[in-house]
Amino acid sequence: MIVLDKVDKIFPGTTVPAVKQVSFQVDEGNICVFVGPSGCGKTTILRIINRLIEPTSGDIYIKGKKVSDKEVNPDHLRREIGYVIQQIGLLPHRTVEQNVALVPRLLKWPEERIKPRVKELLDMVGLDSNEVIHKYPFQLSGGMMQRVGVARALAADPPIMLMDEPFGAVDPIVRGRLQDEFLRLQKEMKKTICFVTHDINEAIKMGDHIVIMNKGELVQHGTPMEILTEPANDFVKDLIGVDREIKLLDLTRSSEIVDRNKEVLGETREKDCFISALDPVQRALETMMKNDSDIVVVRDGEKEIGTICWGDIKKLINKLSGEA
Amino acid sequence: MGFLSSILHWLSNFYDEYLGFINFIIRRWEQVLEYTANHFSLVLTVMFFSLILWISVGLLISRYEKLANTAFGIGNILFVIPSISLFGIFITIPMLGLGRTSAALALILYAMMPMVRNVYRGIKSVEWPIIEAGRGMGMSPRQILFQIQIPMAWPIIFAGIRVTVVMITGIATVATFIGERNLGRFIHHGIARESADMIIAGAVLVSVIAILLDYILGKIEDKITSPGLRKEQEQS
Amino acid sequence: MDFEMERFISALIDRSPPHALVHLQLVLIPVIIAFLIAFPVAVLLTRRRFVKYTDRVMTFFNMGQTIPPLAIIAVFFPFLGLGREPALFALTIYALLPIARNTLAGLKGVPQEVKEAARGVGMSEWEMLMRVEIPLSMPVVMAGVKISVVLTSGTAALGALVGGGGMGAVIFAGIDFFRPELIVAGTLVIGAIAIILDRIITLIDYMLTPPHMKM
Repeated sequence: MIVLDKVDKIFPGTTVPAVKQVSFQVDEGNICVFVGPSGCGKTTILRIINRLIEPTSGDIYIKGKKVSDKEVNPDHLRREIGYVIQQIGLLPHRTVEQNVALVPRLLKWPEERIKPRVKELLDMVGLDSNEVIHKYPFQLSGGMMQRVGVARALAADPPIMLMDEPFGAVDPIVRGRLQDEFLRLQKEMKKTICFVTHDINEAIKMGDHIVIMNKGELVQHGTPMEILTEPANDFVKDLIGVDREIKLLDLTRSSEIVDRNKEVLGETREKDCFISALDPVQRALETMMKNDSDIVVVRDGEKEIGTICWGDIKKLINKLSGEA
Repeated sequence: MGFLSSILHWLSNFYDEYLGFINFIIRRWEQVLEYTANHFSLVLTVMFFSLILWISVGLLISRYEKLANTAFGIGNILFVIPSISLFGIFITIPMLGLGRTSAALALILYAMMPMVRNVYRGIKSVEWPIIEAGRGMGMSPRQILFQIQIPMAWPIIFAGIRVTVVMITGIATVATFIGERNLGRFIHHGIARESADMIIAGAVLVSVIAILLDYILGKIEDKITSPGLRKEQEQS
Repeated sequence: MDFEMERFISALIDRSPPHALVHLQLVLIPVIIAFLIAFPVAVLLTRRRFVKYTDRVMTFFNMGQTIPPLAIIAVFFPFLGLGREPALFALTIYALLPIARNTLAGLKGVPQEVKEAARGVGMSEWEMLMRVEIPLSMPVVMAGVKISVVLTSGTAALGALVGGGGMGAVIFAGIDFFRPELIVAGTLVIGAIAIILDRIITLIDYMLTPPHMKM
């Protein structure tokens, strides 16, 4: 879907390249997360994709089309790509409605199509459209503004989204909620997303694919599991940090280790701690600790499918650290 | 009854002493109208050209940063030149001479500083992420200018226009010394004839007009500012 | 324009000096009086007890600025008669606003955490004002004084109309007799006065600025 081929960027007046010989591919419907310390070139890569920055050399292809060609109008290209930034950049002199309708109006959609689309989008990102539609940005909380920012990027239904630390400006609790909601949304939308963050935890949580960068170079790329289990070098190990095993628990779904033995289920029902089969194993651990129990019941929707006990989790940890 | 009549006596004395200019205005109302009309037409002419010229210059220097210092340098020099000198210099230029062209040109130059400075400041006040977001959404430079930068700068630009209108209305009075027949003429001739009524009539009329214009433009400023920007200013 | 160099030089050297001295007074006296009024008033307006009057007082100062200079100069003439006084009086009113406005802005610009710290080390309100707030806001206050000086030196040219003298006398003579040399000479002297005073204030400002804030 998105292909970068040996992209270099040297900013005028500097000698050290900001991006050096970076090549990778993002598959359709995937979230690809770029992670690394500040100044590593991750944001530059993102802005090269929609040509806010022109690369010094190298090519960019979207759906097989070479978009780094001089003939492609960058403004028109950007209207086909959703873009969310940490500072959000909502236009303060325009209402929420006018902000969300920005790109559809640039694309000259008929008004009767824009109105329902804006409502739909606001509801989709978890806002009460009737309540916020005529408000101005300053009247919204940080979390609400970020939701409007996402709705604006989604407005013209672009197949590709570029997100630069989109949840970076809100507090950790709101951030977690926004991440969860966005992942749920993504399950339906199946957009191709490039996502920049400096937070490895966010990268592991959001990414189907992770690209780790340092000093303008691509250090390692792969699935979160691959990155966690086979870090390419010390830089990646440091980036992941000491709680690697716990992060792995976050990546494994409860359904993968559930004990489907119905008898165990009967014994433990009165314990009253439940989790969903889609929850990560870490949630099982948290629920156990919260309820002072060493076993939890796993549900798939309304149906109880089995249990997870402390022993199951320990077995998983041993297995994962053995792999590493 | 003696008390009441003494109050009336005092009032009429006060009127004769300090409010005689009202009689003057009533007596000479045709001239008042003529001078007021001339005053306004001069201010309007000046504002018409100033808006076109100085807003363009302001936009230009906000794009080409190197020109900004030159423009502000010129503006600062103009600011130091007394209005009467500027008028005087223009009338000694043979093509211009005594008259409206000289008066208008001098006033247009005076309008430069407040207008250009505020256009520049307004455009520069638009924060980078907002422009970045606009670019990222696929707005062309022209769309960014007209849909983001100018609307967001508008309150500051308008404040500049307001200051300029008030200033020009005031300085226009000085143009009476180079032949303009406007409200400044009452002051000018009043001083020459040592007529307090005439001076006060001129001063009061022109002050009232200036304050009124400032007030009206202030109201318009509130009306046309996007609520999104207005509230932001109040909060900060 | 017929511009005679000889006449210009004579206007500059022979005619201007006495007028320049008067002009200097027409600038300095009003600015100093305006400072003595506007600065304490603005400081008072930032004290908690008087904050509520800020808007009203500033509206008054603003109005002084809105009234055209010629009107202010002329309007005191019937009451104070011909001479220096009406000009000084009018120019003082004109010089008030920039100083008051900048003093307010300067004091409000002192960071809250600095004030908290000052209170934290046990400074009284008076000590805090004298040792923290006023020194820190000096650059902004002085910028206001400079604006006042430039404004006043230009407006003072009108003082000649009511018998106040100053460089305005030279300029008006130039207008009456169509002599560009006189106008240009008068303007140059006024510009020089404005610039010299501006430099002197910059120097004072530099001496008053706390060492760590100096560039």
